[in-house]
Amino acid sequence: MSLKAFKRALWVYHLNTGSCNGCDIEILAVLTPRYDVERFGIKLVGSPRHADVLLVTGPVVKQMVPRVKRIYEQTPDPKLVMVVGNCGTEGGVFYESYNLAGPVDQIIPVDVYVPGCPPRPEAIIHGVVTAWVKLEKLVKQEVA
Amino acid sequence: MTFILESGYAFWNPLIWIIVFIVVMVVVYFFRRRGQKKYKKDTAQARIFLCGEEVPEAEQRHIRVGNIYWGFFETLKEYYNQVLRPHTGIINDYVLWFVAATAISAIVLLIAGL
Repeated sequence: MSLKAFKRALWVYHLNTGSCNGCDIEILAVLTPRYDVERFGIKLVGSPRHADVLLVTGPVVKQMVPRVKRIYEQTPDPKLVMVVGNCGTEGGVFYESYNLAGPVDQIIPVDVYVPGCPPRPEAIIHGVVTAWVKLEKLVKQEVA
Repeated sequence: MTFILESGYAFWNPLIWIIVFIVVMVVVYFFRRRGQKKYKKDTAQARIFLCGEEVPEAEQRHIRVGNIYWGFFETLKEYYNQVLRPHTGIINDYVLWFVAATAISAIVLLIAGL
């Protein structure tokens, strides 16, 4: 696994679409000194307009659908969508609930899934690296 | 010609400010050049981000200047109600006020002169 084409840091925008905050806490754990992904240049940003990766948690409640679409459209290309948690992957404990429009891949295209309730920080880091490699391929295709 | 203005405590030189301005502009240009150029300009990627919400028109998302003086207007509400009543916006009314004020002033001056 080598990263050559995508030389700059990977900026991630975290979007909560109705999560119980379990996954969000694990995402924060990834940023704590124990895991500290910022040393690799992976950092959370406050706007999707600055992001390379859209990190989505939660099963997407109906009220969030236009927001999710809008935020996806506002993320510059090349972009990747990464879903963290069972809810965003396939509905989780809210599967087929009356107030859900999700899971996430029903609303926007998803590139990387990190299942778990919540997934461990190691799994999230592995997902981000997988996304990074995929993003590098996209950049190479654009250059070619 | 040195352009130096000395106040006794400090000095002010426009040349220094111009040089500082040029240096800042060069630094800004340097960082701006390094920015992402590939974003699609006529799409949502160039629109304002408001936590995913639809961004209202500029007139609706800015605080009107009247809101700044809200407390002022609220406190002096009675006064404004009285003062605004004669302001009908009709020129004839204003001329009538002018004639009446002039007549009263003339009468006061006449009595004071006697």
